[in-house]
Amino acid sequence: MSKGYPIGGKTFMALKNLTISFNEGEFAGIVGPSGSGKTTLLNIIGSLDKPTQGEAIVLDQNISDLTHKKAAYLRNINIGFIFQVFNLLPVYTVYENVEFALLLQQYSGKERKKAVMEALDWVGLTSHANKKPDKLSGGESQRVAIARAMVKRPKILLADEPTANLDSENAHEILSTMKKLNKELKTTFLFSTHDEKVMGYLDRTIHLRDGNIEKDIIKKS
Amino acid sequence: MIKFLIKGILRDPSKSIIPIFVITIGVMVTVLISGLVKGILSEVVNKNANLDTGHLKIMTKPYAENKDQLPNDLAILDLSILKESLELNYPNVDWAPRIKFAGIIDVPDKNGETKIQGPTLGLAYSILNTESKELKRLGIESSLIKGEIPKSENQILISDEFANKLSLSLGDEITFFGSTMEGSMVFEKVIMSGTIRFGTPLLDKGSFIMDLSYAQKILDMEDGAGELLGFLDNEIYNPIRAEEIKKDFNKKNINNLDEYAPIMLTLRDQNDLAPTLDLMDLITGIFIIVFVLAMSLVLWNTGLMGGLRRYNEFGIRLALGESKPKVYKFLLIESLIIGTIGSFIGTILGVSFCYYFQEVGLDFSDELAGTSIVMPSIMRAHISIDLFFIGFIPGLISMFLGTALSGRGIFKRETARLFKELEV
Ligand SMILES: Nc1ncnc2c1ncn2[C@@H]1O[C@H](COP(=O)(O)OP(=O)(O)O)[C@@H](O)[C@H]1O
Ligand SMILES: [Mg+2]
Repeated sequence: MSKGYPIGGKTFMALKNLTISFNEGEFAGIVGPSGSGKTTLLNIIGSLDKPTQGEAIVLDQNISDLTHKKAAYLRNINIGFIFQVFNLLPVYTVYENVEFALLLQQYSGKERKKAVMEALDWVGLTSHANKKPDKLSGGESQRVAIARAMVKRPKILLADEPTANLDSENAHEILSTMKKLNKELKTTFLFSTHDEKVMGYLDRTIHLRDGNIEKDIIKKS
Repeated sequence: MIKFLIKGILRDPSKSIIPIFVITIGVMVTVLISGLVKGILSEVVNKNANLDTGHLKIMTKPYAENKDQLPNDLAILDLSILKESLELNYPNVDWAPRIKFAGIIDVPDKNGETKIQGPTLGLAYSILNTESKELKRLGIESSLIKGEIPKSENQILISDEFANKLSLSLGDEITFFGSTMEGSMVFEKVIMSGTIRFGTPLLDKGSFIMDLSYAQKILDMEDGAGELLGFLDNEIYNPIRAEEIKKDFNKKNINNLDEYAPIMLTLRDQNDLAPTLDLMDLITGIFIIVFVLAMSLVLWNTGLMGGLRRYNEFGIRLALGESKPKVYKFLLIESLIIGTIGSFIGTILGVSFCYYFQEVGLDFSDELAGTSIVMPSIMRAHISIDLFFIGFIPGLISMFLGTALSGRGIFKRETARLFKELEV
């Protein structure tokens, strides 16, 4: 597939005729310098954007064909997002931030509570449930974001440069947490990163440059 | 989800403080202004009714046609018979006969020679009769400047301005020159027991108040009166009831061939009050429309500014799987919640101020001692049920409209772009 952005009457190609597929349960990363098209690719996989040419098939659904509603439903049920900036909703507590992801689904109050506490347990933050985001450190905030993305047990988790704002200790902690969840829940993890630390954890690295795939390396385990 | 939104609003008032503030102010001003307009209006209506038009007024046809000339030769006679049948047909209406008559007031010097003279308008009300409601209705007591209310029939109250012009003091004896109903001369010595301020220049320039039965006697109008005023139940004007009585009365008299047959008018029919009343309604209506438009514009803008700050939140919510229409829908629901809060506070404040102005009044008469009886010198608001809606609903509509307009930005932007703004 390709993705072009219209810029001043011309089209800028952010992704150039890529062909790539990911397997269920993978722990893979898209690696490349800034501007290489990593975010664009993740956004298309996450149904926030559509390719301009070709097809993107995610969980048997063609992203180009999805309506607002269907795309939202796909994200709601099957896709979790983690971003570079932590993006918690500041007025809500840690608990509520995580709970928010479930409010759009038909959970009972009891089920919600159980799921939220379990997700907080995965990231080791049960004791911070009633804190507001501004009382958390960067590492803790990103862990809340992981809990929020994982609480609904999505099939795919997309993490766009999740360690860019973290020191190395926190980065390692987060990555091992995610790796653990990948193993336990069989969630497919797709990263975008240019952080060496992240690359060490990845089972597969897809190197992107100027919208082209340079290399696709699978680590033998 | 809605519970979640309310929590968000309550915990981060800064997000909604500006729209709430705008709505509160707007709603409060609307409520206050319409309360004041209604208050002033009903005050004007009441004062006019009490002093001049009544809720209903009966005159003879020719008197009505020439009433500016105070044609007492065309006055109603056999008043007691008329009153009796009125009381029978329309119970609960209080009927008050009155006479207006012109003449001259003459102030004698020590030797009984004319010292000073002035043209005058006499107003005869039933003020000595203890059963009469006229004293209270006209607010004479509170309008007194000097002296006291007449206790005997040859005592009169003179407008304060006129009394000063004539250099009169309390208890002075003066002479009234005029003419009887039939046109013969009247000379009557009377005593000034007090002065009064009407608050309307026409009357303050040179008029006096005399007891009705005394006036009837000196003007040769026994059992007669220029005008017979009717006041509805509890002295409250009810336009529908007034119209009913008028129609009924005039229908009964339609076949009366007597050229002095009585006719009845309502308050609305007199003194150009109808257009005034309609105008006031129109002004209030226009004001509310302008208010809704202006507030919507302001809220549209605050919504746009607030929306920019909230793209972050919208982005997260989209990522979590809300669809754009849902985000928009909840934005509108949120606007209704905020609109309700603002409208509620605004209505409470507006009604409270109205209550204050109803009870205390806005005094415009500091420099003029005493109060008036024709135009209100104290503006009072008037609280009625509709005050609770007149601001509330427009406030809600403005907030909804403003948000609907500003929120369209969510649709105009591509999801990915809305989302891109998540990246610092
Ligand atoms: N909405 C957009 N409009 C125009 N150009 C864009 C848009 N989004 C991204 N781009 C461009 O596409 C290229 C790839 O962007 P992106 O996918 O964000 O790269 P990365 O995440 O690897 O830094 C960049 O050159 C960027 O400027
Ligand atoms: Mg990027």
